[in-house]
Amino acid sequence: MTQTLTEDDLYRTSTQYRLWSFSPESLLAQRRKTHDIAIERACRYGGSLSNGGVEDGAAHEEAYLTAEEELRLVQRYCEQIRTTSDHFKWPINATAVQYLRRFYLSNSCLTYPPKEIYKTVLFLACKTEATHMTLSEYARRISTDPDAILAPEYKVMQALRFTLDVRQPYKGLKGVLMELLNMANGMVGEIEGVESKGAQALQQDMLAIEKPPKDAQTPWTAPAGTVQVKHLADRINAAYSAARQLLDKPALLTDVYFLYTPSQLLLAALHLADAPLTSFYLTTKLPLSSPVRPKILATVHTCASVLSSFSDNQIMTKDDRAALETKLENCRDPSTRDLVKAHAAAKRGSESDEEEKVKKRKLAREKSLKEGEDLFGPSLGTAANGGKG
Amino acid sequence: MPVSKRDPRVGSSVGVPDGELHTNLGRMNLARSQPTDTTNAEICPVCKSSRYLNSSLRFLVNPECYHKMCESCVDRIFSHGPAQCPIPGCRRTLRKHRFREQTFEDIKVEREVDIRKRVQAVFNRREEEFESLRDYNDYLNDVEDITFNLVNHIDVEETNRRFEAYQSANEKEIQENAQLAQQEKQSFSALQKAERHQARERREAARREEEDERREVEDNRRDLLNRLASGADAETVAKEGQQVQLKKRMDRQAATERQRQLQAATESRNDSRNIVIKGLKSRQKVEPEAPIDPFGGLRFANTYFTLQDDYLWEGIQDTKNDVKHAAGGYDVRDYTQRALLAAFGGLGVFVADEMTERSRDEGAVATIRAEIGVQDMVMADPP
Repeated sequence: MTQTLTEDDLYRTSTQYRLWSFSPESLLAQRRKTHDIAIERACRYGGSLSNGGVEDGAAHEEAYLTAEEELRLVQRYCEQIRTTSDHFKWPINATAVQYLRRFYLSNSCLTYPPKEIYKTVLFLACKTEATHMTLSEYARRISTDPDAILAPEYKVMQALRFTLDVRQPYKGLKGVLMELLNMANGMVGEIEGVESKGAQALQQDMLAIEKPPKDAQTPWTAPAGTVQVKHLADRINAAYSAARQLLDKPALLTDVYFLYTPSQLLLAALHLADAPLTSFYLTTKLPLSSPVRPKILATVHTCASVLSSFSDNQIMTKDDRAALETKLENCRDPSTRDLVKAHAAAKRGSESDEEEKVKKRKLAREKSLKEGEDLFGPSLGTAANGGKG
Repeated sequence: MPVSKRDPRVGSSVGVPDGELHTNLGRMNLARSQPTDTTNAEICPVCKSSRYLNSSLRFLVNPECYHKMCESCVDRIFSHGPAQCPIPGCRRTLRKHRFREQTFEDIKVEREVDIRKRVQAVFNRREEEFESLRDYNDYLNDVEDITFNLVNHIDVEETNRRFEAYQSANEKEIQENAQLAQQEKQSFSALQKAERHQARERREAARREEEDERREVEDNRRDLLNRLASGADAETVAKEGQQVQLKKRMDRQAATERQRQLQAATESRNDSRNIVIKGLKSRQKVEPEAPIDPFGGLRFANTYFTLQDDYLWEGIQDTKNDVKHAAGGYDVRDYTQRALLAAFGGLGVFVADEMTERSRDEGAVATIRAEIGVQDMVMADPP
């Protein structure tokens, strides 16, 4: 079977595409389903709450968290993870944040409050992204109990469906940077199927790109005189750093990882940073006659608008978080309240069952032996049991 | 000569050349047995001399015209070069070196055998070269037709023409087959020789061992007697004697073991060259193995970029020029290619469309996955 695979086909084999990509509607549906299941469970154990006998769970729904509140809480903790890993200079914030988001697609804050989960998620990301440290070292740095970190780990892995690879846009961004720098210096790789004007002509065109618009994120400003190659290099590098910052914060704190591919993400960030440069670059890759060009451009622009619509004041403040957490304490699932104990019991539990069975069997055997030495033989009932067991 | 394939044991082997057959048959004294017509055998038709007059009379025959004459006539008539056959009525030019001793009693048989040999030397195709048994039998039939025509003087001109045509057209194959037959014969005879050699060696080895043992026993006894005679203590001598004997036996056993191993080694080497299996078909040509394809037929095509050899970004320039990395075989293009693949992998993938399609139609995605060879594991959480 000779089949030719393009880059898109290669992306389609990744678990990020297969399991963790959603259309906006299906994402919403998934979250709502999780939330509804959690509320239903909450109604069942709501009778044990100190609010008194409740027949109708719907009447007390305001006692539970709403879907938006859950989302905002998750976002707050994503920010928390980000700042923690930045503080410790670990390069793992993107992966950890994605793990947390994926976890809360199939689980609800009511069952597993993010306060107990996010440290485990951060530890898992440490292990995955090659900044592994021992559990005691990590616990010391985060100043938490090691058992509390390990307890939810298996549950987190299950929720992640054991797929730990998160495709990030950073390496792709570096690739684009490399290509742009080469293009500015007159070296171009010819793509088959795309006719180009040749390296020199492209370089001239590049020098003639218009200035970035006012609202562009790049810090670069056009020089006074004619644009030269070194100005171009500066422009490209400035666009890169601006895009990088965009990917660091807004991309992680929105749902774009579920809705767009990393390639579209990075191009959207570049677009926000320096729109003329990006459109010039895309023209060299996708000629005007290509059929997918309008669709790709539309996708990139929508993604860019999602990124730009994010602003810092959307994140919960500390006080809001504290208030929400007290509310959560009242309505959370009591069966998962003590994760550490549950974890320890789960590890121990199977063994104790075995021991009990062994003891019972031994007793039965001894009893049948003793009765066997009786003058008139063992009683019929025990003999039957002893014969079977 | 080969026959239609009913019984391969009928008929002699193809590749036995002339000389051997003749010498073997000559040893069997076929020609010299008592003929029915005594007068014919005794007198030479040319010089009319008989065996009575010349006891060492030998008759020779020339395959041109199959006329027989005595050796002295041959010498007399043909020593000075080619001449006409002396038998009245036969005007063929004969040459001295083509005269030979008659192998068969019947001259007709001799002639037929010669014709057959000639035909077989040209028409020597093997069964493996034919697609079906029927084709092989048809070929044999045709060869037999030609032979029959030649033997019985039917359509001689036409047959000769066919003969020559076939020969000129298939010279290469004829030669190849002749070589193959030659090789087979050689290997067969070498095989037999090797077997006989091995048997002989084994007999020799057994005999030598026996002799050694006998000699040793005698030496021991003599030595014992000498020692007793020279007055040593009987008991100690006996004990020593036993020990020495034991040691000698062990040494001998070790030596034979080593020798047997050596022989086995040489035998195995020899065996692998001449396969001891009998009745093995000649080996077939082995097809050369195609180079292994690590991707099993998959090919990769980049639609959005072409990897360039050098990127001017300073982030990779240091690594590129660093000898410590290059010496281990690291190529910076590994990194640049992955970066560019990551940059464009998924650019044309529209998640929103494809995911809604999937929720409607699981089958299509499974087909895509199956094509790329990827399997999903459904890991449902326990309820």
